[in-house]
Amino acid sequence: MEFILELNTEEMPPAHVKAALVQLEERFKEQLLSQNVERRQIKTYGTCRRLVVTGYFSPTQKDREEEFIGPPKAVGMKQDGSFSSAAKGFAKSQGVRVSELKVIKTAKGEYLGLKKIERGMPTRDILSEILPQIVSSLSFPKMMRWGESSFRFSRPIKNILCLFGGKKLSFSIEGIRAGNSTTGHKIYFPKKIKVRSFKEYREALKKMKVVIDQEERRKMILSQIGRKLTSLKAELHPDEGLLERLVYDIEYPYVILGSFPEEYLELPLEVLSTAMREGQKLFSIVKEKKQQPFFLGVADAYQDSKSLIRKGNERVLKARLDDAKFFWEQDRKATLRKKAKALDKIVFQEKLGSYEDKTQRLKKIVSYLADKIEATKEKKQVIQAAELSKVDLLTEMVREFPSLQGNVGGLYAREEKYPALVWKAVYEHYQPVSLDDEPPASLTGAILSIADRLDSIVGVIGTGITVTGSKDPFGLRRNAQGVCKVIIERKLCLSFMRLLDKVIAIYGERLQEPKEKIKSYCLDFFSNRLRYIFERQGYRYDLVNASVSAGIDNLYHSYLRLIALDSLKDSPSFEPLIIIAKRVNNILKDQPLFKVNQALLAEKEERELYTTFSIIKNNIIPLISKGDFSQAQRIIFRIRSSINSFFDNVLVMTDEVRMRRNRLALLQAISKLLIQVADYSQIVIEGQDSPK
Amino acid sequence: MSIQSLIMDLQKFWAERGCYLAQPYDLEVGAGTMTPDTFFRVLDKRPWKVAYVQPSRRPTDGRYGENPHRVQKHFQYQVIMKPSPSDIQQIYIKSLGALGINLQDHDIRFDEDDWEAPSIGAWGVGWQVLLDGLEITQFTYFQQAGGIDLYPVPVEITYGLERLEMFLEGKDNIYDLKWSEDVSYQDLRFIEEREFSEYNFSLASIKRLRNSFLSNENEARMLIDKDLLLPAYDMCLKCSHFFNLLDSRGAISVTERVKMIAQIRGLVSQIAEKYIARKNTP
Repeated sequence: MEFILELNTEEMPPAHVKAALVQLEERFKEQLLSQNVERRQIKTYGTCRRLVVTGYFSPTQKDREEEFIGPPKAVGMKQDGSFSSAAKGFAKSQGVRVSELKVIKTAKGEYLGLKKIERGMPTRDILSEILPQIVSSLSFPKMMRWGESSFRFSRPIKNILCLFGGKKLSFSIEGIRAGNSTTGHKIYFPKKIKVRSFKEYREALKKMKVVIDQEERRKMILSQIGRKLTSLKAELHPDEGLLERLVYDIEYPYVILGSFPEEYLELPLEVLSTAMREGQKLFSIVKEKKQQPFFLGVADAYQDSKSLIRKGNERVLKARLDDAKFFWEQDRKATLRKKAKALDKIVFQEKLGSYEDKTQRLKKIVSYLADKIEATKEKKQVIQAAELSKVDLLTEMVREFPSLQGNVGGLYAREEKYPALVWKAVYEHYQPVSLDDEPPASLTGAILSIADRLDSIVGVIGTGITVTGSKDPFGLRRNAQGVCKVIIERKLCLSFMRLLDKVIAIYGERLQEPKEKIKSYCLDFFSNRLRYIFERQGYRYDLVNASVSAGIDNLYHSYLRLIALDSLKDSPSFEPLIIIAKRVNNILKDQPLFKVNQALLAEKEERELYTTFSIIKNNIIPLISKGDFSQAQRIIFRIRSSINSFFDNVLVMTDEVRMRRNRLALLQAISKLLIQVADYSQIVIEGQDSPK
Repeated sequence: MSIQSLIMDLQKFWAERGCYLAQPYDLEVGAGTMTPDTFFRVLDKRPWKVAYVQPSRRPTDGRYGENPHRVQKHFQYQVIMKPSPSDIQQIYIKSLGALGINLQDHDIRFDEDDWEAPSIGAWGVGWQVLLDGLEITQFTYFQQAGGIDLYPVPVEITYGLERLEMFLEGKDNIYDLKWSEDVSYQDLRFIEEREFSEYNFSLASIKRLRNSFLSNENEARMLIDKDLLLPAYDMCLKCSHFFNLLDSRGAISVTERVKMIAQIRGLVSQIAEKYIARKNTP
């Protein structure tokens, strides 16, 4: 039978609607499953004012056979087949005659008992019971109370429509009785209408200017936008986030095309598109990447016959652009260098000093980085970029549009005719803002981005703040992921440990925590971030562990190590190597370190192993330092047969102490070599114990 | 069409919905929320309906009369309904109709915008109301004030009178608005904006403001001890205004800002607690 639930609320934020739809689908599936109600085609729809669930459910629960277990057969039944008093007692307690008891086989043996068939309850009754629970179990990023109730939800619930098999279900949530009516668009059709089926509901709402299906609204928006763009022969400045918001912000989309005076075109595209997006949620329009004096907006309306919506938006936008233009002109009255003098007035973090302090540190970090990655040509420019990087925090433009930090500084630097490597570095140094964002395109930007983030991470951790669960007040996770992403994608090779040492040393006395503690926390923290990034890219978790726990001193190599493992994981030599590597590790467990003495290598097989090992070692060390882990890996495969015959013919744990130690020493040397390629002990092989 | 007829329409509309029409409070405040008619009355359990115009001062928004939208003093129309009526959103929409706006021709949006006033320990959940992209109202379900969970929940509707009037008159410059048929916003406010901008940004004595902040803070403490809560609250409002002036003089560092706001919030929370305790004892 068909089921419909519609919760009609005041305007919920788009993120709330999306979260609720996911939860509703899950809860319905869970609850119906646990209640033995068959279901199919559960679908959810939402607008800012509605959460909708539909589906087909069986009219009753499935009948349930329940077993009641009594005494063991041996106790309940005498040898002659008659029932004992224990059996009689059990039958009495169950309200049946003793002859109705049956033998039931269980895992513990045979018991006396009985099977009862419980008739399924009507689904209607079940739904009335579980619906209030489902609705009140929904959780939102921020919840509120209203009226005289202590009930918490995203926004006040106004009306509940709930039908099963065309008839309304009787239940209520916080004093609101479910019924068979709903209302249309809040301005055009606020009156209630009754519906009997989902088809009727959907069609009636559409007539009342509400499109409940988010995908349908998205298509409507896109096709209307497409039509307007064709007439302009221009393109949308892409903004997926904005589109996604708008899809849920409105119940009926009407796209308006507006314009603004050309004098504002002197503002950069970044400023124009941000001024349009923030506040009014307008799309900007470009032709060959150049801003056009037009915008597109999505109104919650079905027409703009008097053009009042367009004109209103044009007027508001003009006022915003006026402000932006004023800031653009005002900010450029003083040069960035001049403005930089006030950096000491703004606090970066209470214990870590001002932005002037941060700027000085950044200059040192980028200079170190430029040396290490041999960016000799760029060194001067990146230091200059570091000097200017935080100045835009003092501009009116960033005060008005905080999301443009970095970009604004870069644009002003470009206006002041700084070289491209300088202004681009400033412009890009907050990139990537997320793992899905692009890292800086310029090498100078990449260096500055790494330096800025690492300065924050080391500083914050050095003040004793740790990141746990949902607590990450300075966005350190995002910052660390940014560092990893930039290093890996730009293929930068440098010692991460020494970089950490350097940043810690630059901070000097400012950091309260002991240096070693900061460093080891940072290493752990970055290892975890690296694992997160790799697993997010779809690599097997054990391969990720094998790569990361082999060390992260060279972050780029950690990545190369992983792709080598991934590309060889299906090779026939892979598993046997891992098995043997694990065997080596097991023998070495809890052994102190020994040194190989060639003279003591007595048996043929151990001399052979030593020779193979030495050759392999000489071959792969240069490959490892080049980062060619696939080739190194392939060469390592060749050690297996020598180890095998060593284990088959040589007794490692011999009573002769010197021999024993020498053999252990040989295995230790091999293990040390292996871990430079990967920590094989982390790899899980089917049928073997997983690593702890 | 004028600001004063707009005010009269709103007064009539909300009086008809049972609101008592209060007069503006006689101290400098940053928003209608801060006046006793809102702050104290939302704390207890008794129903409360009030509406009033409140001149609101935000010294940092001053632009010497040169910006067509920003002013250091503007006028809010403040409505409080407690408990929040279940059809309050439709009532609000009707109020726009009562101002002569034909909503069928416009795009009206309730855009997520949670509100917070840290210095009085208050926050709420709600929206900014956009009319064809123009923010005309802040619509908030209060959740806390003075650090206390509010029950029943009051709803606060704050119309920005100048914004609304600019919309109604179709003007792009605040100073072109009419206050009455014969008096313009320019006549009434321009010199005031210029002079106060000069004072707020350049001449207000930082030393005197700091001293005033301190002495009013002490006075508030003394009054809280004596259970004189309304005068104590006045002292907090003054502190808040001196804080805003110090801010527009650029005299407050980030850490100091946090500290001063916490000081005011501490006093206000004590006042709120005592006020509740008093209401609960017969």
